[in-house]
Amino acid sequence: MSTSAARTDVVRTAAIEPQLGRRPGSVVERFVYDDQIVRMFVLATMIWGLVATLAGVFIGVELAFPKANLGLEWFSFGRLRPLHTNAAIFAFAGNSIFAAIYYSTQRLCKTRMYSDVLSRLHFWGWQAIIVSAALTLPFGITQGKEYAELEWPIDLAIAVVWLGFFGVNFFGTLAVRRERHMYVALWFYIATIVTVTILHVFNNLSLPLAVVELVKTGHWPRGEEWMKSWPVYAGVQDAFMQWWYGHNAVAFFLTTPFLGLMYYFMPKAAERPVYSYRLSIVHFWSLVFIYIWAGPHHLHYTALPGWASSLGMVFSVMLWMPSWGGMINGLMTLRGAWHKVTSDPILKFFVVGVTFYGMSTFEGPMLSVKSVNSLSHYTDWTIAHVHGGALGWNGFLSFGMIYWLLPRLFQAPLYSKRLMSTHFYVATVGILLYVLAIYTAGITQGLMWRAFDESGRLQYPDFVETVVRLVPFYWIRVVGGLLYVVGIVMMGYNAFMTWRARPETYVEEVHEAPALEREYDDGPLPETRLTANIDAAKQWDSKYLQGWFHRVWERKPLKFTVWVVAAVATASLFEIIPTFLIRSNVPTIASVKPYTPLELVGRDIYVGEGCYNCHSQMIRPLWHETVRYGEYSKPGEFVYDHPFQWGSRRIGPDLAREGGRQSFDWHVRHLENPRNINGQSLMPTYAHLLTEKLDFESIQGRVDAMAMLGVPYGDAVKPGEAVKMARKQAMEIADTIVKQGGYADLGDKKVIALVAYLQRIGTDISKPADAAPAAPAAPATPAAEEPKKAEAGGAGGSVASTR
Amino acid sequence: MRLSEIMGRLDLAFWPQAALVIFLAVFASVVWRLYARTSREEMERAGRLPLEEEGVVGRTGTK
Repeated sequence: MSTSAARTDVVRTAAIEPQLGRRPGSVVERFVYDDQIVRMFVLATMIWGLVATLAGVFIGVELAFPKANLGLEWFSFGRLRPLHTNAAIFAFAGNSIFAAIYYSTQRLCKTRMYSDVLSRLHFWGWQAIIVSAALTLPFGITQGKEYAELEWPIDLAIAVVWLGFFGVNFFGTLAVRRERHMYVALWFYIATIVTVTILHVFNNLSLPLAVVELVKTGHWPRGEEWMKSWPVYAGVQDAFMQWWYGHNAVAFFLTTPFLGLMYYFMPKAAERPVYSYRLSIVHFWSLVFIYIWAGPHHLHYTALPGWASSLGMVFSVMLWMPSWGGMINGLMTLRGAWHKVTSDPILKFFVVGVTFYGMSTFEGPMLSVKSVNSLSHYTDWTIAHVHGGALGWNGFLSFGMIYWLLPRLFQAPLYSKRLMSTHFYVATVGILLYVLAIYTAGITQGLMWRAFDESGRLQYPDFVETVVRLVPFYWIRVVGGLLYVVGIVMMGYNAFMTWRARPETYVEEVHEAPALEREYDDGPLPETRLTANIDAAKQWDSKYLQGWFHRVWERKPLKFTVWVVAAVATASLFEIIPTFLIRSNVPTIASVKPYTPLELVGRDIYVGEGCYNCHSQMIRPLWHETVRYGEYSKPGEFVYDHPFQWGSRRIGPDLAREGGRQSFDWHVRHLENPRNINGQSLMPTYAHLLTEKLDFESIQGRVDAMAMLGVPYGDAVKPGEAVKMARKQAMEIADTIVKQGGYADLGDKKVIALVAYLQRIGTDISKPADAAPAAPAAPATPAAEEPKKAEAGGAGGSVASTR
Repeated sequence: MRLSEIMGRLDLAFWPQAALVIFLAVFASVVWRLYARTSREEMERAGRLPLEEEGVVGRTGTK
C-alpha cells in the first residue's frame, strides 16, 4: 500500500510553465490516481447488487408463496425485508457512489486521494458493516425503524467509517486539490457526506440495554443484550425523526451522490459538457434548501400534527420543478449527441436512468399531496414508486458508470458490447414488469379498502380478500425482478471476461499540475450598478447581487460545507423543535399507561420479528379505516412507544386496535400457523415462539431502560420486581389459554409475551383514567367468533368511529 | 419551571411558517442572482472541468 506522498513528485521546472500558463516559480507536482480503490468498489457494487436483488426476489416469492421460507424464522419476510432494503441502499447503491466519488474526485481535484490507508479502511470497514447487517437482521436483531434497523454497535461503526474514514479522506482530498474551482459534482458529494452524518446520528440516538445493565441493574450483559437498544424518542417524535431521516436518506444517499455521478459521468460518456452549469447550481441548492423539509409527507393523516404534514406536502410539491430542471439538464447534456444513444448502451443506461429520476421526482410530489396519499399510503403504490427510483435511477446510473469504467479500469476493451446491450433491454423490461404490476396491485388494494356497497358497508370487510387479489401481480413482480437479476449476472460475466483480458501490469498515467498557492486572487469585484447610493449598498450590489460571493465559495470547501450544514441544520431545527415542544401536538391521555413488563418484552419480540414490515399501527381518520379497524389513532396513545411502530405498508391488517378482538388462544394458534385460522393468509408461521423460552431475566433491564427514558414505571423498577410481575402475568395468560381449550405449558414461552402485547395494543383509550396498568387487557373469551373477522383484524360490524 | 416547560408554553407554531418563507426567499434569491448575474464564459469554463484531462506527462506501471 502506498501513500499519496510517495506517489507525488515535486518538480520545479521553469521550462514547462509558460506553456501551461503558470507563473514562473510556481511548484509543479506529478501524481498518479488511485484506480485500485475504484476497482474494489466497482467489484463490491456488482456483488452486493446481486445479493440485494436476489434477496428482493426471494421475499417477493414469499409474498406470493408463503411456504417459500421453509418455515424457518430466519427467512421470514419480516426479518429479510430489512436485509433486502439495507443491501439495496447501503451495499449496492453505497458501493456504487463510493466508486463514483473515488474516481471523479481525484480527477476533478487533480490529486490522488488524500490517504490510501483511509481509502482501504473505508472500503473494508463498509464491507464489514454490510456483513454485520447480514449476520444480525435475520436473527431479529433490529432497532425496528425502516432503513435504520441496524443496532447501535453497527451504528457506531457506520459513523466511524462514514465520517472518520470516508469523510476525512474526502475533505483531505479537497484540501490538497490542485484545481481551484470545485466542480458541481463535488458539491453534491459534500452535501451527501455532511447531511448523512447528521441524519444518521440524530435518528439513531438510543439507549443500549447493555449500558442499562452495567449502570443500573449491575449485571454484566449477556450475549444478545449487547445488541439491543431503544430510541430515546417515543411515539410521534420518534415517527417524525424517523421520516425526517428516512426521507432525507433518499435525498442525500440515493439522490445527491447520484446527481454528482450524473454530472460527472454523463458529460464524460457523451463527451460534452453539462447542458447548463447554472441549472446544476440551482438543482444543488434546491435539494439543500427544500428537500430537507419534505419528510413529513410520509406521515399524512397519522397522529403527526397537521401543520407538519402540510408543510411536508408544500415543500414536496415545490421540489418537482427543480428536480425536473436536473433531469432536463442531464438529458440535454446529450444535445447534438443523440445519434450516439442509439449505438451506445452506456448512454442508453444513462438516458433511461435519468428518465426514471424524472418520473420518480414527479410521482413523489404527487404522492405527497394529501388526497392522493390517502389512497396510496400503506399500499404497493409506494413500493412501485421506490423501485422505479432504485432500479431505474440508482441501478441504471450505476450500470452505465460501471460499463464506462470497466475498459478504463482494466485497460482492456469491454468483453462484449452486445451483452451490455442485452443487459440494458432485459433490465428495462424487468423494471417495467415490476413497476406496472405493483402499481396495479397498489391501486387495486387501495380502492378495495375504501369500497362501500349500496348498503353502506365495506365491500371487502375481510382484509385477506384485498391481499389474495394481489397474488397474480406478485408473481409478475417476481418475473420482473428475476429479469433484473439476470441482467446483473450478465454484467458480472462481462466484467469478469474484461478483467481476464487485463494487461500484466496496469499502466498508470503520471499527471502534472501546479499546487494551489495559499494566496490567490478571487478576481475584481464587479462594478456596482448603483450611482447615487451609499458605499455599503454599492458593496452589497457588487458582492452579493452580482453573484461574486458564490464564485468565492466554490473555491472554499470549508466555507461551502459550513453553509450547507447551516442550511440543513436550520431547516431541520425549525421543523423538529416545534414538534418536540408544542404541547398541544401530543395531548396526553390519562388512561394511557406504560406497558406491563411482560407486554414490554412482547413488544420487543414484535419489533424483532419485523411485524411492522406488514402491519401498521395507525388508523387514519378516514371513514373506511375507522369502519374497518375502529377509533382513529391519537398522538397521546404512543407516548410510551420506543420505537414507534406505525409501519408504512399493510400487507396484513392494521393492528392499532387489535387488543381484545380475539381470544388469547386464537392468537397462539394464529401465530403457530396463520393458515390454520385462515387458509388464504400470506403471513409466515411463528411456531418457534411456542417453543422458545422467554428470557425473563432480561426483563428488569428492559423496564429500567424505559424508566431511564422517562416512562413512569413506579415500583416495577425495584430490583427483581419487574420479573416477578412478568411471571405472574404470564402464568395468568397461560391459564386463560388452557381454559380456552389451548395448549398447556406456554407460561415460559416467548409467545405468551407477544400475545400479551398484542392484546394490549390500542385498548388503553377506552379504559377509565385510573385503571391499573397491569390489569388484564383482553377479555378471557373471544370478542368475535365469526370466521370472517379472523384475518381482517376487525370487520364491517365493529363500527367504533367517533370522528 | 423547567426549560422544556417554558419552551412548551411559547407558541412555536409560527416557526415552520416563518422558515418556509425564509427558505423560499433565500432559494429564490440564489436562483435570481445566478441567472441574472453570472458570466456565460465562467459557467462554460466550470462546465468543462470533467472533460479536462490535461497534464499527462508520462506513464508508470503497477501490478
